[in-house]
Amino acid sequence: MSPREETGERLSEKRFRAVGWLMQRITGLGLVLFLGLHFLLQHLPNGFLATAEEYNRMLQQGEVLMQQESQSPKGAWAPKEALPGEHVITYSKVVERLQSPLWKVIDISLLLLALSHGMQGLSKVLGDYVARVRLRRTLVALGWIAAALLAWEGIRVILAAGMNIG
Amino acid sequence: MLHKRERPGSPSFRTFLSTVFSYRKNAGMAAWMLHRLTGLALVLYLVMHIIGLRSLTDPVLFEIYVTTFRSPLFKIAEVMLLGSIAFHGFNGLRIAIQDAFYRSENQRRMFYGVLAFTAAVVIVGGLVILYPYFIKPLLP
Ligand code: HEM
Repeated sequence: MSPREETGERLSEKRFRAVGWLMQRITGLGLVLFLGLHFLLQHLPNGFLATAEEYNRMLQQGEVLMQQESQSPKGAWAPKEALPGEHVITYSKVVERLQSPLWKVIDISLLLLALSHGMQGLSKVLGDYVARVRLRRTLVALGWIAAALLAWEGIRVILAAGMNIG
Repeated sequence: MLHKRERPGSPSFRTFLSTVFSYRKNAGMAAWMLHRLTGLALVLYLVMHIIGLRSLTDPVLFEIYVTTFRSPLFKIAEVMLLGSIAFHGFNGLRIAIQDAFYRSENQRRMFYGVLAFTAAVVIVGGLVILYPYFIKPLLP
C-alpha cells in the first residue's frame, strides 16, 4: 500500500503536517510568553486596570457611560459599581495602552500566534477523527478561512483602538 | 500495558472519566486527553474572545462587554480558563521537551510536575481573581 492510500494524504500535505508539528512547538513557546503576559496584564490587579475607587469615581462622573442608558443598543443595561478590591478593565485604560505602537505589535503577535496555533491543533484533531479525506480537507480549509477572517477582524480592532483620540 | 476494558474500541463517557482519573496507571493517556480537551476549549474561547472584542470600537459596547464578565459565575469561569491555559501550557512544554530529548523514562514524574505547576498557578491566580467576589465579603 502506498503512503497515499494509507492516509489519503498528498505529499504536500505530509510536508505541511511536518512543518505544522514544528510550528506547534514554536508558537507554543511564543504563547507561553505572550499569553502569560496577557493574562497577568488583563486578569490580575495591575496599573493597566482601574482600581475600584477609580472606576466608581468614573461611574459617578459619568465618564464610563458617555451615552444615556436608554441609548444602549443592547436595551436595558445598568452599570455595575466595582466591589472593594476589584480591578476593572476600562475602555480608556485599554485605549491608552494601545496608543503605543509597541503594544499594538505585542497584541497582534499574540492574536496571530494563538490563531495559528489553535487552528493547527484543530486540524490535527480533525485528522484523528474525520476519516473521509475530502470532508477532512474541506473542514480544514474552512477552518483556516475562519482563522484568517478572525485575524483580519482582530488586527482591524487593534489598529483602530485609540486612533480617534488625541 | 493495555488498559483492560469491557468493550474495547467503544469509547464512552465512562471510559473517558476512568482514563482521566486513572492517571496513576496511565499518566500519558490522561495527559493527552486533558491536553486535547483544554486545547479545544481554548480555541472555542479564543473565537468568542475575538468576536466579543470587536466592541472595542465603541466605548458603550465595550463597557457592556466587560460588565458581563464581572459576575460571580464568570469569575469562576475565569479561574477555569486560567487552569486550562496553565495545564495546556505546562503540558505543552513537557511534550516539546520530551520530543526533543527522546527521554520518556521520567515521563510520569514530569506529568506530576505539570500538575503541581498548574495547581500552583490556579491557587495563586484563583485567590486573586476570586478575592473581591468570594473572599473579601467573608472577612470581618
Ligand atoms: C500557553 C502556551 C501553549 C503551549 C506551550 C502549547 C503547546 C502545545 C503543543 C506542544 C501542542 C502539540 C501537542 C502534540 O503535538 O501532541 C499543542 C496542541 C494544541 N494546542 Fe496548544 N499550547 C499553548 C496554548 C494554546 C492555546 C492558547 C490554544 C487555543 C487557541 C491551544 C490549542 C491547541 C490545540 C487545539 C492543540 C491540538 C491538541 C491535540 O492535538 O490533541 N494551545 N499545544
